[in-house]
Amino acid sequence: MQNHPSRPSDSEIIRRIINGDVNSFEYLLKKYQDHVLRIVTKHIPYNEAEETAHNVFVRAYQALPGFKEQGSFKQWLSAITVRTCYDFWRKQYRSKELPMSDLSERHRDWLEKTLSSESDLSFSEESRAKEAGELLDWALSKLSAKDRMVLELVYLEGLSVKEAADLLALSVSNVKVRSFRSRKKLEKILTPLISI
Amino acid sequence: MKSLSQKLGVLKKILCQAYHGKENVEVGEQWQVNAMRRIKGLGPITSRPNFLVFFERFVWRLTPATCLLIIAGAIIFLKLGFFPDYDVLTLFINDTEELSLAQLF
Repeated sequence: MQNHPSRPSDSEIIRRIINGDVNSFEYLLKKYQDHVLRIVTKHIPYNEAEETAHNVFVRAYQALPGFKEQGSFKQWLSAITVRTCYDFWRKQYRSKELPMSDLSERHRDWLEKTLSSESDLSFSEESRAKEAGELLDWALSKLSAKDRMVLELVYLEGLSVKEAADLLALSVSNVKVRSFRSRKKLEKILTPLISI
Repeated sequence: MKSLSQKLGVLKKILCQAYHGKENVEVGEQWQVNAMRRIKGLGPITSRPNFLVFFERFVWRLTPATCLLIIAGAIIFLKLGFFPDYDVLTLFINDTEELSLAQLF
């Protein structure tokens, strides 16, 4: 990617921040806030996204001296974002503050109607999207924090095992095994719902 | 009537669509102001690594070597017959000086 001549490069900004110019961080914040929020909203509940994105930037700021200029800052920041999301879930699981303990009758009715419908396109209605989102959150809350993140990255985002491993700072073989197991676990969670 | 695997397939597709259809959060200027306030509150950062960073980066790398040294040391002591408790007990039993002092009273 070529830099605009009048705009300083990320490396230049990072150098300024490390030399003590805290205000220069605002440039990085504005440039990458949409990117960070896009990742965060995929993994974290809507009402927690803003706070988590704050935490991402605080973590990135503190870790800046460790940033190696060979890689892109965006990629480095993405990894910090994913790990912050993972830490969010770890904290939630530890404090047992997971949203939604069980599925309501409304969700079960919706599921029954949707699955008995011959057309797969029935999902496009907005109200159904809401219920599907809640069902997804419920199913994912049954997995461990690590399984959840791996499943989201590999199966839902479509990232390669290597990419997911890099983002989560795990080994490739760990992610490979975990993605297979978490998919099986998800199937186990979903099967009783559809065999009613 | 759909089979179980067909239903599972449809459900997976729905959940996948739900994941990609998640609404994006729009943040305003206040969010940026708050973020920068937090950053400024941390103070300037320097590239000078502190002791903890050194500890994390280097000391943990020495853990396998340290473990090996401990195991090797334990084996050597066992081979040499070094039993500190036994030695102290022997010293105590053979120390007749205190015994002779006690005899004075």
